[in-house]
Amino acid sequence: MTANALRRQSFAGLPAGSGGALPALTLVGLFFIVPVVALLLRSVTDPEPGLQNYAALFGSGTYVRVFFNTFLVAAVVTAVTILVAFPVAWMLAIMPPALGSIVFGIIILSMWTNLLTRTYAWMVLLQRTGVINRALMGLGVIHEPLPLINNLTGVTIGMVYIMLPFMILPLVGSLRAIDPMTLRAAALCGASPLQAFRRILLPLSLPGIAAGGLMVFVMSLGYFVTPALLGGTSNMMLAEMIAQTVQSLLNWGLGSAAAFVLLAVTMALYAIQLRLVGAKRLGGGL
Amino acid sequence: MKLILAGVLAGLLAATAAKADEMVFTSWGGTTQEAQIKSWAEPFTASSGIKVLQDGPTDYGKLKAMVDAKNVTWDVVDVEMDFAIKAAKDGLLEPIDFAVVPKDDLDPRFSNEHAVGSFYYSFVLAWNKGAVSGEPTSWADMFDTKKFPGKRTFYKWSAPGVIEIALLADGVPADKLYPLDLERAFKKLDMIKSDIVWWGGGAESQQLIASGEAAFGQLWNGRVFALEKDGADVGVSWNQNLTAADVLVVPKGAKNKDSAMKFLAAAASPAGQAKFAEASGYAPVNTKAKAEMPADVVKGLPDAHVDGQINLDMNYWAEHRDEIATRWYAWQTK
Repeated sequence: MTANALRRQSFAGLPAGSGGALPALTLVGLFFIVPVVALLLRSVTDPEPGLQNYAALFGSGTYVRVFFNTFLVAAVVTAVTILVAFPVAWMLAIMPPALGSIVFGIIILSMWTNLLTRTYAWMVLLQRTGVINRALMGLGVIHEPLPLINNLTGVTIGMVYIMLPFMILPLVGSLRAIDPMTLRAAALCGASPLQAFRRILLPLSLPGIAAGGLMVFVMSLGYFVTPALLGGTSNMMLAEMIAQTVQSLLNWGLGSAAAFVLLAVTMALYAIQLRLVGAKRLGGGL
Repeated sequence: MKLILAGVLAGLLAATAAKADEMVFTSWGGTTQEAQIKSWAEPFTASSGIKVLQDGPTDYGKLKAMVDAKNVTWDVVDVEMDFAIKAAKDGLLEPIDFAVVPKDDLDPRFSNEHAVGSFYYSFVLAWNKGAVSGEPTSWADMFDTKKFPGKRTFYKWSAPGVIEIALLADGVPADKLYPLDLERAFKKLDMIKSDIVWWGGGAESQQLIASGEAAFGQLWNGRVFALEKDGADVGVSWNQNLTAADVLVVPKGAKNKDSAMKFLAAAASPAGQAKFAEASGYAPVNTKAKAEMPADVVKGLPDAHVDGQINLDMNYWAEHRDEIATRWYAWQTK
């Protein structure tokens, strides 16, 4: 070991090469940590020092309901996204690489289109006079338009569609890491396909599911445009409520408190998941 | 065309001048701001040499943050009048310099010490003729799901309008609306809650009615005017039309206050108001503007429907904004 390498290794006890992380850390520090601290300060100082914003927040039936809605929507979206993404990810994992990269390209391509445009497209499809309802009524399948929009159904459809790539990507990673021979071995030992799925594939892909699920869940918690356009007021999510509080009611203190509680709850959930799944496996799935 | 060219030229000249005078105008974007640029900003730049930079959309949170931080980058902002009254009370606005802005011809309903009217509008009852049989004639019809089945659309945010509509539909006389009986209004709204589709912005309201997604709606008259111009098959009832206004304000500590006042004078002038009204279908706040407008445009303005017209009480709303909003969102998210 050269003296130089030795010095680098002993620098603050960090492994060699940690210096390369500095730009990223600075960026996160400046543009994430600092604003979050400012947010926290604002929530306990605006309009006057104290915890009155938090008292107002938890004392307000509206905010509590909106919090509950937000987590409900995020949970439903995450669950449905996992169900839809799993078969796609499995197919991608076992496909010949050349074909796989084409399918992959198609999935990624959707992410390059403007979010608002995609959400408006869903409005056109889902509304009472929309393509889907017209087609079904024209075929005589239904006589009354199905309520597909301005409710939880609409929000779920629109958000699952947007979240799919974020679930598929980590899932493919962890599925590809599974040796296909394990499944063959299971079959040879007399396991039915369902058993092989439940006892081999599912446990081994859990890190990917956990990593993707966490990402989708956390992203869903802060979503604004899609719930606002495809949901009804009874599914109002926190982001929209905070925007109203700040933009229209000029109540920065209450808005900050709500944003901070959302952040804290999200972090807590993340910590719980780390404990359950383990940081290493979670990281390995990404 | 000539005027636009002149405006562009003047703008270029101003830009090349050593001490180019500039100011920032902020409004809501879309067709409204386009009309404001054409009717106010471009002629103003042509005559004064002051370049008007555009920003938007209006955001009250941002406005307050700018004033609080003493770093105000907006010089003139288009806001709703109830907000303007509240903001003036909170010390967020500069007083209007009426030595620069002529006051005499301004409609006193829509201007005050801290605000000059931008335009005024009415909430009207509009419907899709293909989706409705018969003609709804009053707000009460919008609450009668037996006689008029179908979805109805209302303005989503807590603002003057929907509460009053519910009370009128419940039989409250127009002169007894204030103070608002929120309990009674929400009880009335509960009757049709599951039939309501909310619109959050003007374009959405047009889309809902034009497509028949909602059979009826409470719309801004300018948006119905635009639908009719586009040939959509819509009906409109002006019975009990409810007036409200947008006003122009100068945030406290605006960097180009003098230019801002001059801009206000141009925007509120008879010519500026007439041009804007013609382009947007919203009504002028300058009483002399109508003389400069084509007769068929005048016919489509809220001014032509003063019979049964009701002025939403902006002062009442300014006073009770937060309290009503709290109740509104509690009810809406239930």
